[in-house]
Amino acid sequence: MFSYALARIAVALGLIWAVVTLVFLIIHFVPGDPAELLLSQGGVAPDPAAVAELREKLGLDRPILTQYLSHVGGLLKGDLGSSLLDDHSVAEDITLRLPRTLELILAASLIAVLFGLPLGTLAALRPGSAIDRVLAGAAGLGLSIPVFVVGTIAILVFAQKLRWVPAGGFVPFSRDPLRHLILLLMPAGAIAVGLGAVVFRMTRSSVLEVLARDYVRAAHAKGLSPSRIVLHHVLRNALIPVVTVLALHAGSLLGGTVLVEFVFNWPGLSGYLVRAVEQRDYPEVVGIVLVISIAFVVINLLVDLLYAVIDPRVRHG
Amino acid sequence: MAARPIHRLYLPGAIVAAIIVVALAAPLLPLADPVKMEVPARLALPSLGHVLGQDEYGRDVLSRIIWGARASLAVAFISAMSAGVIGTALGLIGGYARGFLEILTVRSMEAIVCFPPILLALLVVTLMGPGVATLVIALTILYAPGYTRVAFAATLATRGLDYVTAQHALGAGPVRILARTILPNVAPPLLVQFSLTVAAAMVLESGLSFLGLGVVPPAPSWGLMIRGARSTMEQAPWLLLWPCLALTGTILTFNQLCDRLRDVLDPRAGSAGAGWLRRAAARVWPDASLPAPSLLRVEGLTVEIATPTARIRPVRDMSLSLAPGETLALVGESGSGKTLTGLALLGLLPPTMEIIAGRVLYVDRTGRARDLAHVPETEMRRLRGDEIAMVFQDPGSNLNPVHRVGDQVAEVIRAHRDLPRAGAAAQAVALLKDVGLPDPEQRSRAYPHELSGGQRQRAMIAAAIANGPRLLIADEPTTALDVTIQAQILDLLAAFKAKSDMGLIFVTHNLAVVAEIADRVCVMYAGEIVEEGPVAEVFARPRHPYTAALIASAPEGADAELAAIPGTVPLPDALPAGCTFAPRCACAAEPCHTTKPGFAEVGPGRSSRCFRWKGVA
Repeated sequence: MFSYALARIAVALGLIWAVVTLVFLIIHFVPGDPAELLLSQGGVAPDPAAVAELREKLGLDRPILTQYLSHVGGLLKGDLGSSLLDDHSVAEDITLRLPRTLELILAASLIAVLFGLPLGTLAALRPGSAIDRVLAGAAGLGLSIPVFVVGTIAILVFAQKLRWVPAGGFVPFSRDPLRHLILLLMPAGAIAVGLGAVVFRMTRSSVLEVLARDYVRAAHAKGLSPSRIVLHHVLRNALIPVVTVLALHAGSLLGGTVLVEFVFNWPGLSGYLVRAVEQRDYPEVVGIVLVISIAFVVINLLVDLLYAVIDPRVRHG
Repeated sequence: MAARPIHRLYLPGAIVAAIIVVALAAPLLPLADPVKMEVPARLALPSLGHVLGQDEYGRDVLSRIIWGARASLAVAFISAMSAGVIGTALGLIGGYARGFLEILTVRSMEAIVCFPPILLALLVVTLMGPGVATLVIALTILYAPGYTRVAFAATLATRGLDYVTAQHALGAGPVRILARTILPNVAPPLLVQFSLTVAAAMVLESGLSFLGLGVVPPAPSWGLMIRGARSTMEQAPWLLLWPCLALTGTILTFNQLCDRLRDVLDPRAGSAGAGWLRRAAARVWPDASLPAPSLLRVEGLTVEIATPTARIRPVRDMSLSLAPGETLALVGESGSGKTLTGLALLGLLPPTMEIIAGRVLYVDRTGRARDLAHVPETEMRRLRGDEIAMVFQDPGSNLNPVHRVGDQVAEVIRAHRDLPRAGAAAQAVALLKDVGLPDPEQRSRAYPHELSGGQRQRAMIAAAIANGPRLLIADEPTTALDVTIQAQILDLLAAFKAKSDMGLIFVTHNLAVVAEIADRVCVMYAGEIVEEGPVAEVFARPRHPYTAALIASAPEGADAELAAIPGTVPLPDALPAGCTFAPRCACAAEPCHTTKPGFAEVGPGRSSRCFRWKGVA
């Protein structure tokens, strides 16, 4: 188990290095000078003096290798540079906002699993039944309706018409825990619609597959109760692919909460990214992309380790 | 498997086609100008001139919906197309050339997948500024890896095939082989990938436009329309409704088309699964008046597979009996119905199969006789693993890979005895010791993959005998094992049987094993018992031509000549009119081809399903 974890961590570190390098290269080898791109608004050619000044500030006038080394060196010290617009430390802004986005993803995943897992199992135990078909239809709709549509309609119905919840916003947990959770509910719920549909489909097909395995028949031959067979023999095995898919989706949500954060005015990392993109604030964009990509790699690492816990065969593989 | 559901493609296909046609024909349709503002008529309700009303700038909503479809579909199709071409080419090259080119093409694409999709799109937008061209480039980069993966996997699977190697030997160049031989084979998964990509690209395009980073206003786009309607949704919620419906409906239709396309192209997907748990409570028959057999008596058991087209009966008119302490061997080729018979006795037939005739009379510990073919599932469950146990053929697949071996033995004890966890665990260790597992304390904590094949089968046997069953059904328990281990397992079963008066039904195709372990033998052919009797007598003097042929074809010594039986076993849905063995039988005569022989007594304790049993040598 220990050597397995070590090997996984080594691979993850390699991936992070690759991401850092790739982002650096993309920024530097894209046709056009970043400084020039940055200053040109609406097709007006920028002032050459301003461009030169910005190049110097960004260190773009130095040789590429020096730039790369100082970039990586800064990263190792946790320095992501500072915003071009307000001179805020990018690392500090990210530290403030990343937990909010992670919280949103965690809450959405929780809701998705809470509904998707039991309903997917139920549908798999009665394939072709009315329940199965109704649930499959609902999941198909859940997968097809874009998250910003869900969010916008939810605001219209629950906030504006029924006035059950506020339309959006954020209150720190430390100031008002209850209000914090109420505000979390709508954005997390909006994400959970699509995510829950994914969990449902994955669970259904995975459970169906495991039900056809020999060891399930063997469990029946032992005279075990149906509930023990499902909970103990089927689900434990069926969970393995479900965990992967959920983790992959949760990982891609790291950047994908953009729309939900925008709709519900949730001050997370993604909204910050959109602002940075709109204003072409390079250090901010690079910093956020790096942090999200690293978080993505870390999530995948955690999934690999979780696997080893669920499936004993992996530890030796 | 039923016919491929091609007709299920028609409805979503037709809707998708209609959407595409309307979007393409937008310039020809008598629509209002989608960008012409009419501020006094802002938020106007539907009217004759504006069927769906007017938006916050007084623009015609219907016209914007249709022109918006054009924008969405154009971006989605162009990017799915270009991603398809680039991604497929890279996957084909990487899969065909391997080595360095594989790293350059396939692995670099995998690096892209490391980024969350919308993040990557935003990165491209930062570098290039918002607009339709940016969208297409971003989506192309984003979706190319999906094609690469599919094309790479399919190429790897195809390149080793004989006809590709043959092309190579004939001197065809790599481009020719890729284009002519491999590409047609990888086309179906790529087609599915394409429809997947179109739907995903539409979602992403609308999302980016919604954020104001996609299609640039005032050009119409569904994402932009939702963005606009958001600000006025309290006064004019219907403005939100139309683009939401159009967007969700289109994506839903594409997804449906995609799912069904996959079903058609890959018939394996979605058909998996056997709902063991679906077995509803069976019809209950009164069991008080049943005649008491010694342990088990099966009478006229017939199993049917429900298919829409044909009635297939893999087990027909099966009768046998078993006394306590007796071993009965069920012998036959693969597909003769011997395993299904074992499963039917335990009520473990797959849900597509059903016992349609016959009785399975069993006398339980209390001396009560019951018809197992018709007891309710809950009662059957109490018998399974307790009074009646089964050992399966492949111990590797019959042990649950994620649970410890000891727990899998202990759970059968706890399912039938009221015993604390620790007590059951101790008993499990004792059982593992009984079946000859070395170091049972430690092995009980091992996972199945940590044991050898023989050790796994010992563990399966330990679980089967845990509750001291009165009837054990062993389905080819030694087939998956080495010859030396086979002998040890047989010895183990014999030793356990000697200590109890358990009845054993031993399913096998190995005549040597039958001679070693069984008292009596039932020979099965194409779903029927063709001969039954004491092992020594049947082997010495078979009363059915099939038994005789089977014995003749069994390897006995180095000098023995193998006599193969000519012909093949008839398929269960195409049985001959007369005797099932007649087409292959050397001594078949006139009545054999037209009349079915009954299963008749041919001597003390011996039966045969043959008109001409007297003539069998």
